[in-house]
Amino acid sequence: MAQNKITTSSTAEYFSKNLQQVGFSSPTKAVLTTLKEAVDNSLDACEEHGILPEIEVEIEKKGAGSLKGSDQIRIKVVDNGPGIDADDVTKVYGEYLASSKFGRGKCSRGQQGIGISAATTWAQLTNAAGARVITKTKNMRKALSCIVEVDIKNNKGVIKSKETIDWDRPNGTSVEFIIDGRLQMNGEAGLYSYLNGTTLVNPHLTLHYTVPESEKVTVERVSTVIPEIPAAVEPHPHTMKLGEFIAHSHLFGRVKVNSWLKKSFSRVHEGTLKDLVSAGIKNSLLEKNVDALNEADFKQLFMAIQNIQLMAPSTKSVLMIGEEALSKSINRLGKVDFFSVVTRKPTICDFKPVEVEVAIARLDEKAMENDSPIQVLRFANRVPLQFDKAACAIVQAIQTVNWRSYGLAQPKESLPLGPYIMAISVVSPFIKFKNASKETIDASDELVEEIRRALIQAGQRLSRHIRREDKANELEEKIRHIEQFGPILVEALCRITNAPDSRKKRAEEGLLKLLGREARDAELALKHAETSLDQHLVKTGAKSDDKSLEEPAQDEEGESSPVPGKKSKSTTSKSAPKPKEKSSAAPSKKPKIILPNAKQAKK
Amino acid sequence: MSKIMAQAYSTRATQDLPKISKEICNALIKDLEEAKRPVLYATKCSLDNALYDHRIGFLKPGDKKVATELNVSSVKKMSRAIFLLEVLLKNVDTGGVNTKRELYYMAKGRIKNDSSLKPLDFADQDESDAIIDFICEMLECYREDLNCYANDRGGQTYSQQLIVTETLVDGDKAVIDLSKLGTTSFQPKNRPQNLKLSASKKIDFCLIVESEGTANTLVANGFTKRHNCILMGAQGVPSNAVRAWCKTIQDQLSVPMYFFGDLDAYTLQNIYRTLKAGSAASLIRNSDYSAPDVKFLGVLPEDIKKYDLLDYPVKENDAQEVRALKKAQDALKNDPFFQDKRNKELAKILGWLLTNKRRCEQQSFFSVNPNDPQTPEKIIVEKIKRGVYV
Repeated sequence: MAQNKITTSSTAEYFSKNLQQVGFSSPTKAVLTTLKEAVDNSLDACEEHGILPEIEVEIEKKGAGSLKGSDQIRIKVVDNGPGIDADDVTKVYGEYLASSKFGRGKCSRGQQGIGISAATTWAQLTNAAGARVITKTKNMRKALSCIVEVDIKNNKGVIKSKETIDWDRPNGTSVEFIIDGRLQMNGEAGLYSYLNGTTLVNPHLTLHYTVPESEKVTVERVSTVIPEIPAAVEPHPHTMKLGEFIAHSHLFGRVKVNSWLKKSFSRVHEGTLKDLVSAGIKNSLLEKNVDALNEADFKQLFMAIQNIQLMAPSTKSVLMIGEEALSKSINRLGKVDFFSVVTRKPTICDFKPVEVEVAIARLDEKAMENDSPIQVLRFANRVPLQFDKAACAIVQAIQTVNWRSYGLAQPKESLPLGPYIMAISVVSPFIKFKNASKETIDASDELVEEIRRALIQAGQRLSRHIRREDKANELEEKIRHIEQFGPILVEALCRITNAPDSRKKRAEEGLLKLLGREARDAELALKHAETSLDQHLVKTGAKSDDKSLEEPAQDEEGESSPVPGKKSKSTTSKSAPKPKEKSSAAPSKKPKIILPNAKQAKK
Repeated sequence: MSKIMAQAYSTRATQDLPKISKEICNALIKDLEEAKRPVLYATKCSLDNALYDHRIGFLKPGDKKVATELNVSSVKKMSRAIFLLEVLLKNVDTGGVNTKRELYYMAKGRIKNDSSLKPLDFADQDESDAIIDFICEMLECYREDLNCYANDRGGQTYSQQLIVTETLVDGDKAVIDLSKLGTTSFQPKNRPQNLKLSASKKIDFCLIVESEGTANTLVANGFTKRHNCILMGAQGVPSNAVRAWCKTIQDQLSVPMYFFGDLDAYTLQNIYRTLKAGSAASLIRNSDYSAPDVKFLGVLPEDIKKYDLLDYPVKENDAQEVRALKKAQDALKNDPFFQDKRNKELAKILGWLLTNKRRCEQQSFFSVNPNDPQTPEKIIVEKIKRGVYV
């Protein structure tokens, strides 16, 4: 029997045939993934160069797509980032696994250098043209305009239609894809959910977007602080496998083992070396040069180090958005009744540093959707996750919390119900995803527990608002009952007994006295709940001097709008008012309660 | 705090109800005039307030009362109660008769025509039914006393010997000889207590069959022709009419009475126990709606073995069956009827059902000899003769 010839294929060839693995499994996902990859690149580039990002997104339906049942969609993302050197343009957009971020242990959005090249490939496959790029660095007099395509056979970027043009900005990048896809605007997997989520976890971002059947929308930044991505820390030996351990040694050339261990790993110090000796490692091995170790030496050393106790890895490498910035940003989601935010201290889950942040807001505009599950916004390294939510650590953590005790309705082991948005951000240099398209965070017990704790804290803060509201509703209900049923009851009693008007009047007054007492008790309970909430807000620093946080402003049409960070539907950008103090939980308004019969009741 | 209790009136006649109602309303107004909080007391109709004494043979109410204090939360319920009481009293006054459903629509109609009553509106019949029950518990009366009747359901009766004499509203008497009705059955009314029963010939027994269909089959096969008896179909859980009809037969004819139904927890607790000793929900009515002499003829657990009957396991996914078993477990612990030592044989059957988790239907008697349609009849009569019942 003739043997089949074994061939090798390029990385680009592999991905071009398996684009479903990296987020192009359906026309709807293709649009979101393309947009997401372009926006992630822009945000990462701006943050690395200390630039406050201002991004313009244009999405347009151009006609029918080449794939059955799809449309031809134009996606354009323009940023004010540092721009890309002409030599690097093909690597960025046309070459797989060409990344400045791969494996360096930092909390950047992009990691491997697959996503944007996959978007170029998708555009090539469905529209026979790659990515149209315009880019300009500060050092370039004119901007470079070109089309980048992927040479699939060789995993190389190919440049076409290259020209230099005048561009009205000092630096930045514009990338445009025309792809086959389908636009889904609403729902958790919709475009608006992505745009809202991106603005929520990037308070420093000003976003302009134009989508079909809508005017241009500008969402102003609410923070001028550019998140500083912490430097990567050296790897922790307990997080490595033997092969990684050996490969790591090759990076350091001819150094002694003891020096290599101390310098190239975190949490390894002089005391650790003594422990290694106590564990049976000979001093002579530690004095050898690393490049002189054989596999047996490495294995012995590796196994010994796994068995000794080391401090947990450092949490310095994680990045947080912060309660203050989240508090400001959450008001950009819409008209918020009240909200609570929690930023946990960085911690270690599964030997990886992790930062969990939670924001829960009740949206006024969704007040009618009391029976629908809450909207969950999931984020991994500040990138929205929009698909396959059921198996995600975040959703599993939400379902394990008993939300009923915080005043939310919740069917058993399900998401709670109501007009709430729950945003949960997990940031880590080593997020464990369930798939290459990075849509689901692996639900390890430790991570689920950490997210659960953050949710419980946020729930406790939220419950003060809900309790106050419950008391207000209770008071309203009592007043309504007194007004509605009192006269009916007395009338009917008097009709049955043929009581004269004088008795009827006395009975009405007596009834009002009786029930009025209860209404006043309810009023006191409400005041108590309000005081408790106010004290909590002051204690947590959430009570702002800025009245705009508590009282919604009136816009021109008389509708109240959330301030700060009001979502303005105009082409001009407005600078948002800035709250003076940080806010971890704040009400945006208080319902007015009037006790109409208070005077009579006091008689 | 003032207490308005109807218990003191429990020995009253039906015609006293308007007077008692007025007194309660008067007391309510008096309390309100003095800005005192009135409390209405109603008999607690639940198992934890049920007492069983084998000498009287039915579940009677204990001393527990449900207190409804007038406050912001109860003002709606109280307003609705007084509103419906007024409607009911008007019926009593004019001689009008209605079902609960009709009363629901009458209430809706009044509310529709008077916008000030809108807050009282009932979302569904369950809400108005609950208020009617509350009024009855408060006045310690039957709803029939307030001219609110249930549907005449079940109780189709066949006999070649039974004669029923009914005194009509105008005083005339109607005599119904059941032997003259051919294949038609006699249907008892909701208040059969005013019927006079007699027998043209000695009646040997009365058989109450759970399934209406099986009762009809037995009659069609000539059961009533061959035996001097009364044969009645209960049609599942006995209605007030069936319960009162059995009580009437028991009191006036003094014939042995047997119940023939399925062997399962539901039949034993919800159908047979209700027929024999009343229910917890109708504690205040049980004295007039129970026939303590009715025996449980079967199907008995030993019948399964003796006649090789087809039985089958309780379906774990059938909510009603599982619920009945759970209730049976509870009944053995808390139901005074099953706890009474004179009913220990019935409690044993419940225990057997819980242990074996099997059930056997009354129609399984038809499996014994499918070629002989009279086999079920023969088994029933044999069981009666040999005293194989509980």
